[in-house]
Amino acid sequence: MPNILPSIRGSVMTIALRDAREQLRDRFLFWATLALVVASTASLVTGAIALHSDAATYAAARDQLLALGKDAAAIAAPEFYPLKLMRGMIEQVEIMGAVIALVAGYRAAAAERGRQTLALILTRPLPHWAYRLAKIIGGMGLAAVSLGIVIIATAILLPVVSGIGLGTDDALRLALTWAAGVFYLTVLFTLGFGLSLWARSPASGLIAAFALWILVVLVAPQIGDTMDPDNQVAGGVFAQLSVPKAEQDRIKAGFAGYETFRNGIEVASVTKHFERFTFAILGIKDTYTGAPVDKVLAEKRGDLLFLFLFSLGLGGLVLLRPINPDRLTKES
Amino acid sequence: MPSSNSAVSTHGLGISYGDAVALHPLTLDVQKGEVFGFLGHNGAGKTTTIRLLTTLLEPTTGSARVAGHDIISDPLKVRAAIGYLPENVRLYDRFTTRENLMFFARLSGLEKPADAVHETLDFLNITELADRRVGTFSKGMRQRVGLAQAILHRPDVLFLDEPTSGLDPMGVRQLREIIDRLNAAGMTIFMNTHLLSEVARSCTSIGVLAQGRLVFRDTMQVVAARYDEHSLEELYVGVAAGHSEVAA
Repeated sequence: MPNILPSIRGSVMTIALRDAREQLRDRFLFWATLALVVASTASLVTGAIALHSDAATYAAARDQLLALGKDAAAIAAPEFYPLKLMRGMIEQVEIMGAVIALVAGYRAAAAERGRQTLALILTRPLPHWAYRLAKIIGGMGLAAVSLGIVIIATAILLPVVSGIGLGTDDALRLALTWAAGVFYLTVLFTLGFGLSLWARSPASGLIAAFALWILVVLVAPQIGDTMDPDNQVAGGVFAQLSVPKAEQDRIKAGFAGYETFRNGIEVASVTKHFERFTFAILGIKDTYTGAPVDKVLAEKRGDLLFLFLFSLGLGGLVLLRPINPDRLTKES
Repeated sequence: MPSSNSAVSTHGLGISYGDAVALHPLTLDVQKGEVFGFLGHNGAGKTTTIRLLTTLLEPTTGSARVAGHDIISDPLKVRAAIGYLPENVRLYDRFTTRENLMFFARLSGLEKPADAVHETLDFLNITELADRRVGTFSKGMRQRVGLAQAILHRPDVLFLDEPTSGLDPMGVRQLREIIDRLNAAGMTIFMNTHLLSEVARSCTSIGVLAQGRLVFRDTMQVVAARYDEHSLEELYVGVAAGHSEVAA
């Protein structure tokens, strides 16, 4: 027997790297990333077509005005911020990326249980939590690579469809989007992994993970969104009624308790935080379009922090909860 | 009391899940260099015992030492000193034998994992399987690779859970020869099995577990001397059903 116990860091890296190698051979990640790239590209092209159509409509209207001898300033030129075209990509990551991450987490647990390799690893000289940490790090690495490919592919295509090159400021915004996305996907990977590891059968764990995801990520924010009266009328109820800002604030103050409750439901969703942050940093949300990065970061750091702390908290929970030794195989 | 020559010693080791007792307090001593055959019906508690001794499970009563280390206070040292082959292990089927073994060698903290893999492949006469993917292997070949991962780090005690399960007669014979060679090299072997013929041929001592209780424990030498009028099968059926007067 060896005289020196292996270092925990070495064992964690050994397990995480083995997972990465297996994913490359398995091709699940390849096809999932490709599907995400195709879906994101399709969204980008669709957005670009809509934008070109707006531009053409504006040009035609402007030409008509000029032909009539009027001032073209009478109509507003369509705004053009290329990063806004990434809305579709963000939405694909929110839904499709989440499904892929949940399934990847399930596969990380199910494969080890099905092959009985879980028992072999857990009888090696490393603490059991180190195994779970290694799997989460492996999942985070896969999310980073997969999302990195999607963002790079979209960023390469963006100047082609928009006709405008991206600057360093845009690159920084994309890097922040990538970071937020990695945390978001890690949360879902960890959820799928943890539940599939603990459940009587990994398939039950996956079903539970999906149910939880649909409830917290899709249903709850939708309820919160629907409860917002401002969302019930196109352009906002106050804007449609031409209510002045001071009056808006006075009315809102009367519903402070309701608004806290409604917002609480909405922000319980990790997806909502991911969306709020990325929509702001990429300027997709009009309020933040063209705003400097530092200003957006100052206002939206809470969402980024939530993503970070949520992934940390969920990861911590998975590390703390021991594996049931009666559930080392696929069917227990 | 465990002696300094004990490879596995348990004192009142047991586990319960609520009111359900999976293993009644078990007191057992397996000496270094023994090939211990652990017999019992399905659900008797054999796998639970191995899971306790390999630190996969924590006992609710009693204590145990494996290779001189306490399973509760020193689980990492226990794990460094043991090898384990569960029943029906499949390994990483997209990886080759060598890749599988390198992975487990690194996890065992071996300083020269490649050398250990080479030596183990050579010892088990499976060098020709080194660069083939495990997913393409028969049950017998897979079992030998499984055994390779269990002995890579030359453990003091090797735990085998139903190692002959699903093997053809040739596979059983090859496995028996390997067990003999490992034992000759000084390794203590703790083996759960259903196959009485294997016990008779390979084991130096046996224990019989019935409904979570050890109902028989003796050396094969004594068994052969005391029960020469019975077949081993009759002895097993008798003690497992509680019909024979035996020393536990």
